Amino acid sequence: MTIRLIGYAFSGPVLRVIICLKELGLPYELEPPASYQSLKDEDYIANKHPFGKMPVLFDGGFRITESRPICRYLVSKYQGKHNDTILIPNDVHNAGLVDQFISYELSYYDPPISKLFYQEKVAKRFLNEDPDPEIIKQAREELAKVLDVYEKLLEGKEYLNGEYSLADLVHCPSTYYVYGIVTTHSGLWDSRPNVKNWWNRVYNRDVIKKSLEESKSFWENNENI
Amino acid sequence: MAIKLIGFAQSPTTRRVVLVLNELGIPYELESVTEIQTIKTEEFITKKHPFGKVPVLCDGDHVVNESRAICRYLVSKYQKDSKTVLYPDDVHKASLVEQYISYELSYFDPPLSKVLYQEIYAKRRGEPTDEAVVKQSLEELSKTLDIYEKILKDKDYLNGEYSLADLFHLPCAHIVYNATGHSDIFDSRPRVKNWLDKLRERDAYKKTYAE
Repeated sequence: MTIRLIGYAFSGPVLRVIICLKELGLPYELEPPASYQSLKDEDYIANKHPFGKMPVLFDGGFRITESRPICRYLVSKYQGKHNDTILIPNDVHNAGLVDQFISYELSYYDPPISKLFYQEKVAKRFLNEDPDPEIIKQAREELAKVLDVYEKLLEGKEYLNGEYSLADLVHCPSTYYVYGIVTTHSGLWDSRPNVKNWWNRVYNRDVIKKSLEESKSFWENNENI
Repeated sequence: MAIKLIGFAQSPTTRRVVLVLNELGIPYELESVTEIQTIKTEEFITKKHPFGKVPVLCDGDHVVNESRAICRYLVSKYQKDSKTVLYPDDVHKASLVEQYISYELSYFDPPLSKVLYQEIYAKRRGEPTDEAVVKQSLEELSKTLDIYEKILKDKDYLNGEYSLADLFHLPCAHIVYNATGHSDIFDSRPRVKNWLDKLRERDAYKKTYAE
């Protein structure tokens, strides 16, 4: 039975799972919801996601929500079964460090990026709000400090934990949305050589480049959802 | 060599790790941070936590930081030596524990942290309490707890059996009960109250908060 993924392919968290599925060589069916409104329907909340969010993954009769847990589930069940890609190492120390870097993404990297993307793309389009220059300024400063830390973390390393892992993967959607779609702030990455090389290396993985570029057309072409 | 835990002894993030150490019966030394400057030095940033934060765990030469990552590491290395199961072996059950950990991070912790900041930490810093933020955060937390009330139907714990997902909620919930006037937000919901009461009956909880 094929894996079913509920969500819009252009949504960051859904994209995170799509990249993971593809990295592991897993076939899946994408089921976009009828509308954003339908996520708040009683049926969706009872049978898909109690907080009315996406993505939701069904693997046979098993249901799981929240993009990073979904990725962890896919890795623990399917890693090594369809191809050789290792996203979480078996060694307990290295796995612990991958987990630590995933926590950095959640705690420090994603918050300022989310603010920037919200202000630059989402606010106007979905909520008819004008971008707030003060929030943009403050988010840029916060992101610059985070990227200074990443610049040191990546010294002498190609990926966050040395070898490519789930930790690098989880950074993809949010990085691409600001770096590759909004583009105004891409200098924050490009002015830091280790960070620039890291992102280019991650982005140029076949699976990642293709998945991210497919989402770009939504943000560039469609005015309304 | 004993495990060393560096952190602010009473902070919820440090206590999250202490709870796991106590649940699994792992001996450790707590290196209590008393001044914030000690974790902002170049040496600390290079060797312990690049963002200048605590807790940090040193297990021999292995250094790991971020409280939830530390907890997962301790479980994957030491749970087999303990009778307590915090993280099931079965891949489906383990994934649901991860899902509930994500609910804690995404929907429980953010509004609760705002309330605690305004009512406790802001005061310590001499900042005024922003009542509008408290009100809005309590409303957001109420909506989350309404959903938890449904999730806990016919269950004592989020994933049926006690797990790391339940434990992660405990440190901030403890502060609400002990240091704010908002315990009714939990106690007015029978299943949420039952769940938190059970968590606070555990020996590891009593040991952690006796110190």
